Amino acid sequence: MTLGLAVELDNIWKRFPGVIANAGANLRVRPGTVHAVLGENGAGKTTLMNVLAGVYQPDDGVVRLHGEPQRFSGPAAAIAAGVGMVYQEFRLIPRFTVAENVVLGAGPAVIRKRAIEDEVAALADRFGLQTTPDREVWQLSMGERQRVEILKALWRDAQVLILDEPTAVLTPQEADELGRIVAAMADDGRSVIFISHKLDEVQAFCSEATVLRNGATVAGSLAVEDLDGARLAELMVGEATEVSQRRIRVSALSAEVALEVRDLTVHDNHRRRVVDNVSLQVRAGEIVGIAGVAGNGQRPLADAVAGLTSATSSSISLAGTEVSSLSARQRNDAGLAYVPEDRLGVGLAPRLNVIENSVMRSYRRHDSGMFLDRDALRAETDQLVQDYNVKVGEIDGPIAALSGGNLQRLLVGRELASGPTVLLAAQPTRGLDVQGVAAIQEILVSQSQSGVGILLISEDLEELLALSDRLLVMHEGRVVASFDPETASRTDVGAAMAGVGGGAP
Amino acid sequence: MRLARRATPLRGGQPRAFAVGFIVALLLGAVLLIASGFNPLEVYAKMFDTSLGSLAAISKTLTRAVPLGLAGLAVAVAGSMGLWNIGAEGQIIAGAIGAAWMARLGPDLPGPVLIPLMLLAGILGGALLAFGPGVARSRLGVNEIITTLMLNEVALRAVRYLLNGPWKDPDGNNFPMAPRLPDQSELPTLFERANVGLVIAVAVVALFGIFASRSAWGYELRVAGSSAKAAEYVGISLRRKILTVLVLSGGIAGLAGGLELAGSAERLNENIAGPGFGFAGIIVAALALMRPSGVAAVAVAFGAVQVGGIGIRTTGVPGSIANVLQALILLGALTAAVLSSYEVVRGGRAAPAADASAPVDGAAAV
Repeated sequence: MTLGLAVELDNIWKRFPGVIANAGANLRVRPGTVHAVLGENGAGKTTLMNVLAGVYQPDDGVVRLHGEPQRFSGPAAAIAAGVGMVYQEFRLIPRFTVAENVVLGAGPAVIRKRAIEDEVAALADRFGLQTTPDREVWQLSMGERQRVEILKALWRDAQVLILDEPTAVLTPQEADELGRIVAAMADDGRSVIFISHKLDEVQAFCSEATVLRNGATVAGSLAVEDLDGARLAELMVGEATEVSQRRIRVSALSAEVALEVRDLTVHDNHRRRVVDNVSLQVRAGEIVGIAGVAGNGQRPLADAVAGLTSATSSSISLAGTEVSSLSARQRNDAGLAYVPEDRLGVGLAPRLNVIENSVMRSYRRHDSGMFLDRDALRAETDQLVQDYNVKVGEIDGPIAALSGGNLQRLLVGRELASGPTVLLAAQPTRGLDVQGVAAIQEILVSQSQSGVGILLISEDLEELLALSDRLLVMHEGRVVASFDPETASRTDVGAAMAGVGGGAP
Repeated sequence: MRLARRATPLRGGQPRAFAVGFIVALLLGAVLLIASGFNPLEVYAKMFDTSLGSLAAISKTLTRAVPLGLAGLAVAVAGSMGLWNIGAEGQIIAGAIGAAWMARLGPDLPGPVLIPLMLLAGILGGALLAFGPGVARSRLGVNEIITTLMLNEVALRAVRYLLNGPWKDPDGNNFPMAPRLPDQSELPTLFERANVGLVIAVAVVALFGIFASRSAWGYELRVAGSSAKAAEYVGISLRRKILTVLVLSGGIAGLAGGLELAGSAERLNENIAGPGFGFAGIIVAALALMRPSGVAAVAVAFGAVQVGGIGIRTTGVPGSIANVLQALILLGALTAAVLSSYEVVRGGRAAPAADASAPVDGAAAV
């Protein structure tokens, strides 16, 4: 029977054209607990949560809250029944204050600012949330914005709160703060569902875990304290994988400098200094990692080095040759490969086919003056697809039909095809599943071993610690700290990411 | 219910979709005709006879298709890069002015010399009118829809000024009209009403289509059309591309103006762009899904509908109903064009990509 359960999702099926997102998924959450929902990308976590939050109606299966079967006509019905969801992308109005955002759509007909600010402050105090009800949302950090989203759900008296990968945008300290907040909610008798694919967080914050794979539940309501990381990873991917194995570093690094950046400063459209006097060096065969919370200048740094954004004062040299006055194309010709953060849209052109995307760097070599040599383009694409094990239906089919891992292998392979001196890789494994991540990391390591200097920008600290020879931390456009990954502690790196203390740059 | 872009376009489905759209439009039109007291079969038969039923009818349709096709190509060239040239109408007029000017400069040149010069001047006239919007867009980011649209009015005023002022025919009894063009400036006849302009237009559309699909230039155009950021990333100069594409687009429309003047007009007049060939070009390009390869077929079909629409007036159908019939057929075809690349989805959320290995989590997080 279902007595005593806050949430019961029973045998949920949800199909989309060509995809079965949920194939008989189950979830049982007891009141007063923090319950992790784990799974790889594409395991069906978000779909299942959207079913619970009323966004999707299941094709089959039952949703029960406190034993009562529910049939939500939409998100509003789910909210009324006490289910709140905090999405990865926040739904806040930047020009409104915290209090206005919290009560929006669920407040009194006439809003008196001071009164709602007091009420919101009282609510926040109850759960130990630090907030400033009278500040406008655009002034807040990502962590503060997330607390506003949580307050919105609490204001509507959510008994079940779903957090969709809540720590992705947070610094380690903010993540710890979130852990305290969800614990306070559980103590209050509410249930928190915590979607994640990071094992350490689950172990820190959650008491029970449900693991999804291929849309179905492979393990329901496991006690987290009985589990180790390897066991959870095994459940997620279905086979034993080695978790977070550090790279075997080449002891003798070449003295040859592959990339040297000196005094790089970049201003954005609003004349804000987004990269502030950054200097760094990557030697041949070295992987230099750049850590930082999203939005601290990593993207403009990469774009400026690649030649896509103009830098105000700088010197950039590739293997000793000054390239700062060269165009993006000339820098690429000079041996600078770039895997940009936005795969589909910058690195690849979404409406073109696989061939057209594969030859973006090389098509000029196949220009006979009048026409491009189509056979040569096709042969080159065949080679690329084969070399990097890209699974494509048809080579002249649309690129958008490829999965994330295949897109990224094609992009990385294309960038490496010309044998570059330096590879600039921005978030190369973000959003990929475990196998996809492993494939890309393997490519990076093998390229560094064959002498390519790699500048690796990532938000995944584990990845940076595992792969980098040296780790730099960016905060507000500056390189604020430098670590040796062998000896660095996560706490120190996290502190530097948050802009407090840290080693000498 | 909402529209969502199909993951893969309906392969080979377009002709079928168009056929369905056409039949639905004819059925709706039949209701309208019966309600107005006409026999739809008779009217439709007349429509067919006058547009495609004889060699003379076909020649009329093809002659119409020339400016429609070139205007459509002009819009499609810009559209393939995500630019909207709404100024083909003005560029046709500018092209006609350029061609007429050349005829004024060399009234005694032999036809084989004068006609190419006129067409060249037409291309230049259209290109010149599009040059301003091209520079404004590529250098300053000024929206080309607004600038090209406004220049239509400028071109119309310019031709009126010429007809009322410097180019007014001294023997025209003070009517605002230009003098007759020299006889040798008329394009040689091909058959019935069709002239050599048809061959030129077909050649331009075909050559451009081949060049765009096979050359490095066309490839860069597709990259830029798919994603401006991807183009910048590989080092394609967007500024130069935008300028050349808009100027080229204007030049193609200008050629249509030159061909109209040398083909079917006796003299330069302010209706040289016909019943809005330039604006119809937008519809032609949209129906051809911005592909040069589709422009020719759509232009002929559109020409047939226009010619047939005029033809049925002899059966007593009033002009207004004839116009409604034309509009119905266009709407049917447009609906078909949309549905061949989009699909109707029930419910308010985007469906994930069709690939089973696609990240469903990502697709579902709105």
